[in-house]
Amino acid sequence: MNVRYLVAIATACSFAFQSLLFAEEPPRFSRDILPLLSDRCFACHGPDEQHRQADLRLDLRQDAVAQAIRPGKPDESEFLRRVLSTDPDEVMPPPTHHKPLTADEITKLTQWIEAGAPWGQHWAFEPPVKNLVPPGRHPVDFFVQARLDAEGRTFSESAPEHTLLRRVSFDLTGLPPTVEELHSDLTYEAHADRLLRSPHFGERMAMWWLDLARYSDTDGFQADANRENWPWRDWVIDAFNANMPFDQFTQLQFAGDLMPQATAEQILATCFHRNHMTNGEGGRDPEESRVDYVLDRVNTMGTAFLGLTLSCCQCHSHKFDPITQAEYYGLAAFFNSIDEDGKAGKAAKPYLNYQSMYVDRAVEEAQQLVDQRRPIEASARAAAQGPFNRWLEARGSEITSPYSSWQTLYGTLESSEGTVLTQQSDGTVQASGPHPNQDDYRLLAPIALPRVTGVRLEVLPHPAHTNGAFGRGKSGQFLLTDVKIQVTRQGSSQVRDVALHDAFADYVPDSKKEKLGAYGDIKGVLDDDPRNGWTTQGAPRVEPHVAVIALAEPLELADDERLLIELQHRSTKGDANLGRFRLSVTDQRGPAITGVGPTPLEQFAEAEAVDRELRSKLFAQFLADYDVYQAARQDLDRAEAQLKEARSAEQVNVMVLAEKPVPRETFVLQRGVWDDHGQAVQRGGLAAIAPLEGDQLTRLDLARWLTSDENPLTARVLVNHLWQLCFGAGLVRTVDDFGLQGEQPTHPELLDWLAVECMESGWDVKHLLKLIVTSRTYQQSSRVDEGLLATDPENRLLARGARFRLPAWMLRDAALRASGLFNPALGGPPVRPYQPSGVWKENFMGRFKYIPSDGAAQYRRTLYAFWRRSVAPTFLFDSAQRRSCEVRVLRTNTPLQALTILNDENYLEAARALAKDTMNKPQPLQEMSLRVLSRVADAEELAVMNRVLDLALTHYDEQPQDAINFLTRGQTDVAGAEAPTKFAAYTVVASMLLNLDEALTHE
Amino acid sequence: MNELVQETRRYFLGRCTGLSLGAIALAELTGNMFTGNPLLGGNASAGVDGAGEPGFQGIPSLPHFLPQAKRVIFLTQSGGPSQIELFDEKPDLIKWAGLELPESVRQGQRLTTMTANQKQLIMPTRVKFARCGQSGATIGQWLPYLRDVADDLCFIKSMHTDQINHAPAMTQFLTGNQLPGRPSMGAWVSYGLGSENQDLPEHVVMISKMQRPSDQPLYDHYWGSGFLPSRYQGVKLRSAQDPVLYLRDPDGLPRQLRRQMLDGLADLNQRRGEETGDPEITTRIRQYEMAYRMQTSIPELTDLRDEPEEVFELYGAESRRPGTYAANCILARRLAERGVRFIQLFHPDWDHHSRLTSWCTARCRDTDQPTAALIKDLKRRGMLDDTLVIWGGEFGRGVAGQGQWDSPEAGRDHHPRCFTMWLAGGGVRPGMTWGATDDFSYNVAENPVHVRDLHATVLHLLGIDHQRLTYRFQGLDFRLTGVEPASVVQSILK
Repeated sequence: MNVRYLVAIATACSFAFQSLLFAEEPPRFSRDILPLLSDRCFACHGPDEQHRQADLRLDLRQDAVAQAIRPGKPDESEFLRRVLSTDPDEVMPPPTHHKPLTADEITKLTQWIEAGAPWGQHWAFEPPVKNLVPPGRHPVDFFVQARLDAEGRTFSESAPEHTLLRRVSFDLTGLPPTVEELHSDLTYEAHADRLLRSPHFGERMAMWWLDLARYSDTDGFQADANRENWPWRDWVIDAFNANMPFDQFTQLQFAGDLMPQATAEQILATCFHRNHMTNGEGGRDPEESRVDYVLDRVNTMGTAFLGLTLSCCQCHSHKFDPITQAEYYGLAAFFNSIDEDGKAGKAAKPYLNYQSMYVDRAVEEAQQLVDQRRPIEASARAAAQGPFNRWLEARGSEITSPYSSWQTLYGTLESSEGTVLTQQSDGTVQASGPHPNQDDYRLLAPIALPRVTGVRLEVLPHPAHTNGAFGRGKSGQFLLTDVKIQVTRQGSSQVRDVALHDAFADYVPDSKKEKLGAYGDIKGVLDDDPRNGWTTQGAPRVEPHVAVIALAEPLELADDERLLIELQHRSTKGDANLGRFRLSVTDQRGPAITGVGPTPLEQFAEAEAVDRELRSKLFAQFLADYDVYQAARQDLDRAEAQLKEARSAEQVNVMVLAEKPVPRETFVLQRGVWDDHGQAVQRGGLAAIAPLEGDQLTRLDLARWLTSDENPLTARVLVNHLWQLCFGAGLVRTVDDFGLQGEQPTHPELLDWLAVECMESGWDVKHLLKLIVTSRTYQQSSRVDEGLLATDPENRLLARGARFRLPAWMLRDAALRASGLFNPALGGPPVRPYQPSGVWKENFMGRFKYIPSDGAAQYRRTLYAFWRRSVAPTFLFDSAQRRSCEVRVLRTNTPLQALTILNDENYLEAARALAKDTMNKPQPLQEMSLRVLSRVADAEELAVMNRVLDLALTHYDEQPQDAINFLTRGQTDVAGAEAPTKFAAYTVVASMLLNLDEALTHE
Repeated sequence: MNELVQETRRYFLGRCTGLSLGAIALAELTGNMFTGNPLLGGNASAGVDGAGEPGFQGIPSLPHFLPQAKRVIFLTQSGGPSQIELFDEKPDLIKWAGLELPESVRQGQRLTTMTANQKQLIMPTRVKFARCGQSGATIGQWLPYLRDVADDLCFIKSMHTDQINHAPAMTQFLTGNQLPGRPSMGAWVSYGLGSENQDLPEHVVMISKMQRPSDQPLYDHYWGSGFLPSRYQGVKLRSAQDPVLYLRDPDGLPRQLRRQMLDGLADLNQRRGEETGDPEITTRIRQYEMAYRMQTSIPELTDLRDEPEEVFELYGAESRRPGTYAANCILARRLAERGVRFIQLFHPDWDHHSRLTSWCTARCRDTDQPTAALIKDLKRRGMLDDTLVIWGGEFGRGVAGQGQWDSPEAGRDHHPRCFTMWLAGGGVRPGMTWGATDDFSYNVAENPVHVRDLHATVLHLLGIDHQRLTYRFQGLDFRLTGVEPASVVQSILK
């Protein structure tokens, strides 16, 4: 085994990379030694006093030298003796920790002790230093070049112009360039300026901030109730677009409510600290929830601003970083006196009643859609008159009195528990024999009608029943808990469920008066819940009753299929099975199945003349079945619902911060348990980071402390985030951890320079981004050769441009932009992009229904997509979960992602629109390529695209119906399209282009 | 070949942050990483080919020792099934009927706010119990089918947890921590062991289709990957037209045209790969091919038409209805047959605060026959030996009645201090009962098993030392069992 090889592999893997580069140098404490001590020793010999072993701490030199390390004398150091020991009881770290030191690491520790065990501080806790950059040199390139020189490497060549424009457009606005922008003769720098001025810049930055701020449109826990906090999202967009200095941005989000004469917008900003999940679960103590929220704010602040894993200190002092548990609760004290009580849903005070300037546009857009669809619905209704008259005429000649819309079912009867069920010639079923406490009755019957739309149940009294009523139980009453309808097929083992829409009865008791609890209402039979159901107990007389159950969709049965109707009697007390009943079905829709009593056609059969009222009922029945009209009606219904929803957003309650008049006392929570109070603590900062002391400290002081010149972390963390936005990875790879267990920066001097520049520029985010994107480092080509890939697989040297898959939200936005569907509107209430039906329903068993937005609202940016925390939008992948603060970028490559981009409606509709827009241009494929890839295709690529196009054309010419089916989805207007086969074929090519690796990638 | 090495290495380096560097280096040197693992039935070519794809063989150093179970079927009963009605018989409780729970038993146990203001009056169960099989396990009358397989089960009556409300308790039960954000058990297992099947995801979740809106929604994080790469999150199999989201090609795009389109896509991607030198493109091409294969393998899996009639008879009438718990039990067996590593069913609505006789029996009716059938079915196919079946919910229910204790309207509140679960197969001793509760089924009296002990035990059966399956996140080495001591329940192992 070749040791050198082993070291090379190991170091290539992680931050130990640097040790290879500087292999000849003596170890440096903060870079080489402290991380080892932290990772292997501090868990038992570090700052956490509760878990400290042998009373030894190695995080302070004084203690380490007094007990275990003799500077200059490795041989006399107990520390090294234990590290080198072969005795399993003696060796450190103990084998049970599964974290042995490598030979290389032991060598470093030995060298370090030999050199006198020089001490120092963790790099991130030292103030950043701005090294001098020679005049005329771009600071970013200067530092990157220095490292490249040391490695004997050079910058890669500059990326092609179109690649560069695409790259910077994505990085600064989250969108690809338009064809016009590609053709413009602006300089690269002018493009950067243009992009920084674009309103889409704020949106791009807001998406970053929303992920970090765990923003969501719902609570997250239990009922996952909706919130109305989206005006805060718009505040964030506006702040970035206005280039609000980041220190001010921070202060407003922490303490906007504490500003003198705070404006509504300043208060709105504080919603940042209310974006945490809330739990309104029935049995939960609200105080426990409230404590959770307070701690979540501290943890979010730690991750987002300080790059520290503060949450570790909830239960004990930090094991690696010099932060005590008391300090942690000192931070919590800032958030502990919010005027909140731990409740969720609509009771999550404090609120700001807010009127957003972005609502009017949404209302107007929704109104336009209604205005556009109303006449379509009206003319469809008018156009239905003729067919209706003909239909009615036909019924007139066909229907004679006596007439019934219902056809009695005859078939095989069965009981689960042994009741004998006998069907008589009029279809009536009588129960006899055993009388079980609960029972299910089943009737399996063939259907003579061409379809079934509803089922009618008649419950019938009989003198043989108790009190001559409905059954043989003690009271003679019945209690039907559920009705299930299924279809069976001969020779098939499986059955299919028939979805039920609604149920109606001629009598429903007053459940309260009759002391029936949840029993009574007929709707109870629909939901598979035995704790509710229908009874007529309390009806004034014993007489037959009737119920009608409407199916969700008309049901057509094949010849070998049978209808199976199950009547379940599974009530809590039981003893209420039906004694006598009859079942029948109808094939009529509309009023025939939306109530009990004579159907419109039954009335028609008896009527001398058709009066207005009857005519309107008959028309309603006709329309219910007239698909041309129904399509127009449903379009209008959806548009009206959307308008109503937009209007309801005109005044909303945003969750914000407000201080209680009398502050709460704050205690250390022992082991982090919410009601286990330890010592009382005062508000304060983290001594190891920067001083923050004084009486009467407020959240504003805390925000100022975060962005003070003395705080070594916040500016570093911020510029690292900005770097990650442009390069796909931070200079510190562990964006969320600048502590001892985090990675060290790949370019420490560059990180520091940018951090100081950040503060000196007045926290100017646009300035920093412009600095980054105008560097040569940024503009390099992302091409990589095998040599560079082998030695620097993760591009830590920055010897090439960054190539990585774009975040999923940008993919959708890019597809919208390329397709021409893109709706550039800013702000406003959330919208609902396409999502497969049933996704919310499955997790919530039907409580929430997702209806995709209609009209232009469908094509808004993903930033505005409604975010249900418990079921994040399905068209996204590798997204932040938005449950707690997350800043790491996830990037995986899976078959499910492939399926999403291939088959998700968002991408399919974009493909259709792209095809439609380009297919009649002189060079349709080049036009597509320009829009999707920001470049023209070369001859070979064109050949492949043409090949696929020809294959698709051949297919659709042979199977024109396939073309229609392929195109008839979403909001695509197929009826108006000429040459659907060509349209479909180009759509296949467009979809292929949207799936190209290049289309998905930041190059 | 060179391209392949590039790809696999990059892929591997990308995901290695949680491993000790030594482990990777060693694995690479000894060739372990690419040879597949004989214990898991891998083979050399699958190992090489599968890196970066769903058939990937997991972490090279795993398993830590010879596994007893190759896969897990976790029958999650969400809401907190009542151990008092189902398994934990307390015949003497009748003497205490309607009396207040002695403080010596309650010992300050926290209540939910639903019953905190109500007297804790003892409600003995109405259920009759029987001693079943050779082992004499006690099973209540609402689970008649389960009685038939009593000798195959191992009951743990001394389970306990820290959480008293659903979401935190279920989150702890499935991820080891009450706060969302940690990887689920299934994610850990598939991360550690990978898959035995090239054409299916390694971690699959199914939720019973119910008509009634459940009070406890099932959050994605229950089967999420937390900070592990998202490919380890459970893939939800749905009873809808698309068993996996986006699986079905749109109408009017026939299979052969899809193939031709993917061929074009691969050609163009291949060219881009050569131009950019980025091995990630090769991986992407393979992911699209895998997606194409899944479009066949998954519908094949979910199509039960090839199951003989007797299977439906075994699993009961409900198994004929797609989407039900019973139908999902058949699917679970099919997934197990295909080598899927972690199969998790969720059956909601066990939160019976009232009306036990109608509500709890309804959930028993849904699950009893199919659960027992699954055990029988696995056994007769010789699969129970290496398949670990787990049955249980996030906590138990209290001995006091909620509502008027002597009314059939009464139910039971949540109870974290003791509850019953059972395990079967996969190296667990059959026909035994471990642990016991006190006379009130209130406190654990013998051999307590904390949720994290269960986690340690499940991992152990899969050949994983729970202390050594770690992942570094925010500077810490996380594991399923967390920081508190957890131990494998040795006594229930074969």
